[in-house]
Amino acid sequence: METQAVTRTADLPDGLAPQGPSVELPPRVTRALQGVSIVGAVLVVVGLLVSTDRTWAAMLLASQYALGIGLAGIVFVALGYVTGAGWAVAIRRVPEAMAGSLPVGALAVVVALVGLPWLYHWTHVDLSADPILEAKSWWLNTGGFVVRAVLYLAVWLGLTRAIRRNSERQDATHGVEETRRNVLLSAVFLIAFGFTFSAASFDWIMSLEPHWYSTVFGIYTFSGMFTCGLAVFILLLAALKRMGKLAVLRESHLHDLGRLLFGFATFWGYIWFCQYMLIWYGAIPEETAYYLLREQGAWHVLSVMNPIVNWLIPFLILLPRPAKRNLGLLVKVCVLILLGHWLDLFVMINPTVMADGPVLGLWEIAPLMVALPWVVLATFKALGGRNLVPEGDPYLVESLHHHT
Amino acid sequence: MTHRFVLGTFRSEDDVLGVVKAVRARKLSLHDVYTPYAVHGLDEAMGLRPSRLTWVCFLAGAVGFGLTMLFQYYTSAFDWPLNVGGKPYNSLPAFIPIAFEATVLFAGMAVVIALFIRCGLYPGKKAKIPGPRVTNDRFVVVVRLDSADASAEDVQMLMEGFGVEAVDERVGGVA
Repeated sequence: METQAVTRTADLPDGLAPQGPSVELPPRVTRALQGVSIVGAVLVVVGLLVSTDRTWAAMLLASQYALGIGLAGIVFVALGYVTGAGWAVAIRRVPEAMAGSLPVGALAVVVALVGLPWLYHWTHVDLSADPILEAKSWWLNTGGFVVRAVLYLAVWLGLTRAIRRNSERQDATHGVEETRRNVLLSAVFLIAFGFTFSAASFDWIMSLEPHWYSTVFGIYTFSGMFTCGLAVFILLLAALKRMGKLAVLRESHLHDLGRLLFGFATFWGYIWFCQYMLIWYGAIPEETAYYLLREQGAWHVLSVMNPIVNWLIPFLILLPRPAKRNLGLLVKVCVLILLGHWLDLFVMINPTVMADGPVLGLWEIAPLMVALPWVVLATFKALGGRNLVPEGDPYLVESLHHHT
Repeated sequence: MTHRFVLGTFRSEDDVLGVVKAVRARKLSLHDVYTPYAVHGLDEAMGLRPSRLTWVCFLAGAVGFGLTMLFQYYTSAFDWPLNVGGKPYNSLPAFIPIAFEATVLFAGMAVVIALFIRCGLYPGKKAKIPGPRVTNDRFVVVVRLDSADASAEDVQMLMEGFGVEAVDERVGGVA
């Protein structure tokens, strides 16, 4: 790293150097987002009174969706540091801003987990009558669940804050020390994240059906979350481009993000199939219960649509090279993946409260109406509060000349 | 007519990119460019069409997938049905891993073979290069003179604007 030239603002192309806090959502968009979230909050309160179980399940889904966007942002940033990838440095402030929305996702999780007694039936069963749950009770107990949730969120929020702060400090120092520190922090984060995210998905989603288990579940939820996060990343780039910001964005950056989107959608499909096939082949009753529930009636249609929307269609569209360099087409695929990720979470979470078949009503939408606008607002607040380009990063020049 | 070629040797990739663009802007015939490594942006500068090997890859992959699916369907459901855990003889999930591997194998092998055929490569083939240094630290830009009265001097002057190290003229071939 010593040999890397230290970038000075003077080395940067015209029009790039300090842009200041210039990214702002138009006031009417901000007001509209706030309005949607207020209406959503009212609906959530009504939903909790009218249709308690469905609303709690929808709140859990919304919290996982919102949290995933922030986590995908920091995972992307951390991966960039530990792999020494220079190509994305010029656009790194966007995933950093996504990570800036992590407190919103964390708050959503805390609120959703208040519904512990309604969501998770292991919290109130007679253990002596259920030897399987009794054997699992060393992990699945309310005290441990709460302590772990606090631990996961604290680890993610703390390390995210440290990484973002170093990156921001580098804007002023133009040094390599911050990069070196962030490489270390990122490595620590990624290792911690691997364990905590797996455990969190066991706690928050898998334990909805506590007799069932899948050892690949953590990777499965991670792959869906990260694919969705990449889609959000690309959509934010498209929005910034439309606002006339981020002149450093090159077609090659899009091409690489398109390839990552293609790759992670395929990775998700691979893990989806791994989980399904091993359970289908083994045909052990305690494992197949999960899919039997999801093959009842209309759930079967959604279960089949899931890999088509999340893998097959993105795979076929993004396969040719020009598709990955075409922002208009990428935006369409990203929107499809955002919907697909909702479907994926819906099929994971909701069958427990909708055994008679899937229902999509106000109570399913309302929690998303609260959480997602605040993710967008927090992301844009984080984007506006700092330089849009990390101009002190030693890899910036490499990223500005990125060519695929 | 025997072709005449002007070969300019350069030291840096920036000069190569510059001279390639200038040669094409002057409507001279750019024959080829020899570089020790893949130079970013050279394909676009030379105006090369996108590779068609991707189609070979896709079609071979599709053929591999289709053939192995058919093969497994035939062997498992008709030719030699085996009862595996009471599952139906024709069980799609069980066929997917093999079809996936065959897709990768067919696509990968086909694209390498197609590349070798298209480039005329085979084991023991002698390299046709203008000089050994293009495999080390020099870049050679080759311009073809299309008419008998075309002058090599014009090309040389153009190349000198980009710091050419040496200019040779060869008749009949580059190597």
